[in-house]
Amino acid sequence: MFIGTEQLTHIYMPGTPFATKALQDISFSFKQGEFALIIGPSGSGKSTLIQHLNGLLKPTDGKVIFEGKSIGKDKRDLLHLRRRIGLVFQMPEEQFFSETVFDEIAFAPRNQGLAETEVEKRVDGALEKIGLQGLDLKERHPFQLSAGQKRLVAIAAVLSINPEVLILDEPTVALDNTGRKNLFELLTELNREEGLTVIISTHHLDEAAALASSVLVLKQGELVMSGPAEDVFSERDQLYNLGLALPPVTEIMHGIFEKGFSVNTSVYTLQEARREINKLIRRDKP
Amino acid sequence: MSRSITLGQYIPGESVIHRLNPRLKILTLVLVLVLLFLLETFSGLIFALALALAIFTLAGIPFSYLLRGLRPILYIALFALVIYFFFTSGGVVLFRIGFITVESEGVEQGLFIVARLVALVLFSLLVTLTTTPLSLTHGMGFFLKPLRYFGLPTDEVAMIMTVALRFIPTLMEESQRLMRAQLARGADFETGSIFRRARSMVPLIVPLFVSAFRRADELALAMEARGFRIGAKRTRMHRDEIMFRDWAALVFVLALIVLALNINI
Repeated sequence: MFIGTEQLTHIYMPGTPFATKALQDISFSFKQGEFALIIGPSGSGKSTLIQHLNGLLKPTDGKVIFEGKSIGKDKRDLLHLRRRIGLVFQMPEEQFFSETVFDEIAFAPRNQGLAETEVEKRVDGALEKIGLQGLDLKERHPFQLSAGQKRLVAIAAVLSINPEVLILDEPTVALDNTGRKNLFELLTELNREEGLTVIISTHHLDEAAALASSVLVLKQGELVMSGPAEDVFSERDQLYNLGLALPPVTEIMHGIFEKGFSVNTSVYTLQEARREINKLIRRDKP
Repeated sequence: MSRSITLGQYIPGESVIHRLNPRLKILTLVLVLVLLFLLETFSGLIFALALALAIFTLAGIPFSYLLRGLRPILYIALFALVIYFFFTSGGVVLFRIGFITVESEGVEQGLFIVARLVALVLFSLLVTLTTTPLSLTHGMGFFLKPLRYFGLPTDEVAMIMTVALRFIPTLMEESQRLMRAQLARGADFETGSIFRRARSMVPLIVPLFVSAFRRADELALAMEARGFRIGAKRTRMHRDEIMFRDWAALVFVLALIVLALNINI
C-alpha cells in the first residue's frame, strides 16, 4: 500500500459532552502516481481525513499507512513525513504572513534548514512549476496578487518542499473560471509530468472528474463508495442519491444516451464530448 | 487544546438549573457569595458545599468538570494552607520541625479558608457552566444599566462582550487550523530558545490578525446592513422573563444558606 488508511476512526474532543465522531471505520488505499479524488458534501469528514494523511491529526482508532508502514507518533519521523507529503489547506492564501512572495515560498525550505542558495533554487523551481516565473513576483507583497495568483503561490509554498505526494483540500473554492482552469492545468502537469501522486478533496465534481484515477465518496464520516474512477462514476443514481451530480458534460451524454442513441457516457471533458457527438452524427448519416 | 476553552464555560443541558433566568441566577450568586463570607462555622460551610454538590447533580454536570474548574485555585489553596499551618499560632502544638511548629488553630483556620474558597468557586461554576455566554452577558448587561447615568454606554459594552465571547471559539479553531497548516510547511513551534519560539509564532499571529480584522470588518458591515446603530434602542427576540420558579429558586437557595449560617455543631 502506498498511501491509505485501515479502519480509521476519528473523534473530536473525545470524553467530553462535545465529542463528535468525524470519521468512522475508513479503509482505502491509493497507488503511487495516482490522481485521487475524495468527494462528499461539506461536513462529511474530507478535511479530517486529509489531515490524517500527513500526521497532523492522530487517529482515535485505526491506522494511517504510508509506503506500507503505519504513521507513528515520533516527532522526527513526522517531520520527515511532512517533507514527502505536501498538504495544501483549504483557502491556503489565508496562511500568508511574509512581506514578499519569495519569503512566503521560502518558508518551507528554510524550515528544512537548507542553505540560502538552495532555498533560492527551490523558490525559483516552485515558481516555474506554477507558471509564474516570468512575472517578477518575488519581491511583491503576497496580498497584492490576484485571487488566482494567490492560490497558485500558496501551492508553490508547499511545492517548495519538493513533495512526492501533493494533497489539496478543496483547491477550487472561491476561484473564478480562469483560476480553476490554471489550477487544473498545474495539477495535471504535476501528476503526469512530474509523477507526483495528487490527492484532492472537493464537494462537487468538475474538471477534477476527467483527471481522476481513484475516487472515495464520504458521507457523514463514512466511506460510502470507493474504487477506480470509472466504476464510481458509472453509479450515477447512487451518486445522485448522495447529492452529488456528475459534471454537466457527462450529464448531457447520459441525456443523449437515454434518448436512445448509443454514445459512450463516461465522458468528462468538452473535447471528448465533441468527439463522441461527432462520431454519432457521422454514423447516423444516411 | 480546544478542551481548555471549555474551562469554566457553558455545558449544554436541559436541566432546571440551565433553564433558570440568567439575571436571577447572577443575583442569587452574588447574594450567596456575600453570605458565604458571613459563614463562620465549619459545619455551616460543609452544609453549603453539600448544597453546591446537590445543585451540580441536579444540573447533570459531570464530576470531571467540577474538578477541572477547581484546578485554577489549587496553588492559591496550597499557599493559604502553608501560610496558615506554619505561621498561625494558638491551640495545641500538633508537631514541630526544627523551629517551625504546626498548631491546631492554624490548621483549623487554613482548612476553613480553603473550604470557603472551594465553596465560592463551586457556586460561581454553577452559574458559568449552566448559562450560555450570551445569556450571561445579557444578564451582566442588565446589572450594568445603572452605570448609564454616569455616561457609560452600557448597551454597547454588553454588545462588545457578546461579540468577543462569540468569537473566542472561532479564533481558537482558526489558530489551530493555522498551526496545522504551518506545521505542514515544516514550522516548528516547540523547540529552540525563547526568542526562537517567539519568532516561530509570527506565521501564526500575522494571519490570525489579518483574518480577525477581516472578520471585524465583515461583521460591522453585516450589523449595519441589519440596522444596528450606536446609541439606538435595541429590542430582543428572546425576552428573558422572570418567572415564579426563578424567584422560588432564589428564595430556596438563600434560605438554605441562611440555615447554614445558623448551624453550629
